[in-house]
Amino acid sequence: MRAVLTDVSSPLLWRYESRRVGVAAQAAPAAALAVTLLLTAFTANAGGSRADIERLLLTGLEAVVPLAVAVATVTVITRDRCRELHLALPVRYVTTLGRRLATLVGAAAATAVIYSAALVATGWWSGPAAPASPLVWVPPLLALGGLAMILTVVGRSVVLASSGVAATWLAQQLYAASLASHAGSRPFFLFLTSRYGTGEGWLLNRFALTVTGLCLLAVAVTALSRPGAAPGEEEQ
Amino acid sequence: MDITIRNLRRRFGKVEALRGVDLELSGGMFGLLGANGAGKTTLMRIIAGVLSPTSGQVLIGGHDMSTRQGRVAVQRRLGYLPQDLGLYPDLTAVEFLDYIGLLKGLDDRTARRRQIAELLEVVGLSDVANRKLKGFSGGMRRRVGIAQALLGDPALLVVDEPTAGLDPQERIRFRTLLATLPGRRTVLLSTHVVEDVAQTCRETAVMVDGRIVFTGAVSDLVRGAEGVTWEVVTSGPPPTVGEIVSAVSDAGGTRYRVVSVTPPDPAAIPVPPSLEDGYVAFMQGAAAGRSSA
Amino acid sequence: MIRYEFLMQIRKRSLWISMGLLAVITVLGQGDAGPRYLPDDASARVVASSWAFLWSLLLPIVAGMVLADRLVRDDRLGVSRLLESLPTTATTRVMGRFLGALAATATPIFLATVIAGGAESISREDPAVLLWTPIAFGLVLLPGLVFVGAFAMVVPLLLTAPLFRVLFVGYWFWGNMLGPSYMPSLAGTLLTPVGDYTASWLLGERALYAGADGWLQLLRPEPNGVTAALSVALLLGVGLIPLLVGSRVLARRATA
Ligand SMILES: Nc1ncnc2c1ncn2[C@@H]1O[C@H](COP(=O)(O)OP(=O)(O)O)[C@@H](O)[C@H]1O
Ligand SMILES: [Mg+2]
Repeated sequence: MRAVLTDVSSPLLWRYESRRVGVAAQAAPAAALAVTLLLTAFTANAGGSRADIERLLLTGLEAVVPLAVAVATVTVITRDRCRELHLALPVRYVTTLGRRLATLVGAAAATAVIYSAALVATGWWSGPAAPASPLVWVPPLLALGGLAMILTVVGRSVVLASSGVAATWLAQQLYAASLASHAGSRPFFLFLTSRYGTGEGWLLNRFALTVTGLCLLAVAVTALSRPGAAPGEEEQ
Repeated sequence: MDITIRNLRRRFGKVEALRGVDLELSGGMFGLLGANGAGKTTLMRIIAGVLSPTSGQVLIGGHDMSTRQGRVAVQRRLGYLPQDLGLYPDLTAVEFLDYIGLLKGLDDRTARRRQIAELLEVVGLSDVANRKLKGFSGGMRRRVGIAQALLGDPALLVVDEPTAGLDPQERIRFRTLLATLPGRRTVLLSTHVVEDVAQTCRETAVMVDGRIVFTGAVSDLVRGAEGVTWEVVTSGPPPTVGEIVSAVSDAGGTRYRVVSVTPPDPAAIPVPPSLEDGYVAFMQGAAAGRSSA
Repeated sequence: MIRYEFLMQIRKRSLWISMGLLAVITVLGQGDAGPRYLPDDASARVVASSWAFLWSLLLPIVAGMVLADRLVRDDRLGVSRLLESLPTTATTRVMGRFLGALAATATPIFLATVIAGGAESISREDPAVLLWTPIAFGLVLLPGLVFVGAFAMVVPLLLTAPLFRVLFVGYWFWGNMLGPSYMPSLAGTLLTPVGDYTASWLLGERALYAGADGWLQLLRPEPNGVTAALSVALLLGVGLIPLLVGSRVLARRATA
């Protein structure tokens, strides 16, 4: 990770890496948010309460954006036609992947910030105070993104990694009530802000999710840095 | 760059792809011959630092490939053309080379662009330099592959089955291109096509089932077939003794080229061997040696 | 073609690991309402169908993820170019790959229901549970698998695979499990792929939201035998639409 941060060498190289990720993946969070907005408008039209609508809008930020980033991460890591070539280059492949994921996360972050600002400006924001708004989406994004990376590196399969991410996301939505009510699982509940607000244990939850995400990320990066570790798909 | 390999082994699950390879080579063009599945690609990947061995030692230019520093030191001076080279179809030839050049650390933009233009000229792709790679034919892709390998003027060039899947004309053009490459560098070429080595290399090694069974001059391999290479012209059934290297039919019957210790036919005449005959004779000898062992 | 596709998919380790992983999550996550906690005197029909319904909450996700890669990957690897040279129509090819991959992904799910059914019939000493298992599988799980599988195979051609996967997960939640009283959703309608209607009919009580009042009231009749059959027919029928569109799209791309 350090190499990614210090080696900001050439803007041209970043542009190439960004093209590897592709507009489709970078725009996935925005597109998924657009669908969420559509559903929200629908709900409003059907006479949903203001609280329901605000909650949905926040769900877009806390649940949909991280899901989009996690799923796109799986694609970015597994889909590289020139992996063999990259592994023979003096640049660590994990650095190259780091640059690519950075462009993905950058696009998602820009989307999230613009979206939050728009909600605040229009008065539909129901999250924490505006300066703390990144705490709504950064921790779940790190946790879900880290999970996606680990599953991809260990499982070497798009199907396995995306099913794992999807199941985690769905299970957390389905069992939200029981996850949020137990002291042991509450810190690891991904959607605390949109489901239960910023009340008791919220900061601890955000902290625990961030740490979990960073740990998963660190393990994934270590595993990727092993010589001969090619995060490809086992089967074509 | 000198390469020294000692007792190299690599296992994939139950398959043992390399079973103790020893190899020494220095400058010039070196051909690695072997049937499909012999373990050539596995060896090339280990030399390129893409795959780590199960056991054994690889020293390249004095650098130990089992350390990160050693690998990076070698990879800085390496050009590698993988067997299954994928390209990014959305990039043009120039963009692709520019991208790889950046990753190889060619930071000076003007110098990099100049080198790319030169290399495209060398591989004969200047006309299509700004076309997207997705429209390129197999031969053109392979030439882009060689161009990217040559970026940064590597001291060691590793090319894995560069002529597979090319049509005859492209194959010949590609071979000619390869033959011009060595200069001061070491070029390691793997192939299952004997003719590729015959046309380009002076030194060769033959791999069978994860082992190197012959190393030496191409001429020595050819000499092994002297006195055991025959030609028979017959309109009857093909000869049953020895191994048929080729068969050409014409009005007078079929002309068989046979490698056999004893004459395959009373009418057979001995002929001077080619590398292909040498390879077949050598494999016959190896098979006989194995079955008697 | 079907056979080839089936064999290719069924051999993938990742398919079995993913299914296993999700099955474990499912079994561990089942609340007090889960089939493990059914009363001892529950009928075989209820036991078998509540297991089938439980499996249908998460396992079809894997089927969606597997199928989402099929056509896109063929396109990418140039296999489709190869297949186009074969004397088959685009529809046959799409259907062949669809049925093959679907059968392959349905196999581990079927195995899960059989294992659960077998275990229940032993612990309850009631062999009838095992008899009801394939029926419950065919009614509760299979129609939904066909439905989402068909969309999963074709929609990525238009949306790209990653975006489809994101929307698929969101849809699965919204279209199956999000109560229609909270926001307009497809949950509890005849078009709910988790098999809400068939499960409700087999269980004799509402499985999740089947028939609950909400958006598109027309699609929310009382769950009973007839509406359960209607739900199956609708899921299969609507599932045909993306397949037909998909083969049309591929045929056009081939000539373009
Ligand atoms: N990544 C791999 N996983 C499993 N088996 C492999 C892998 N790479 C090579 N093998 C096996 O190792 C043997 C040698 O393969 P390879 O090095 O590709 O031979 P060659 O290049 O001479 O055709 C073959 O039996 C092949 O199946
Ligand atoms: Mg090979």
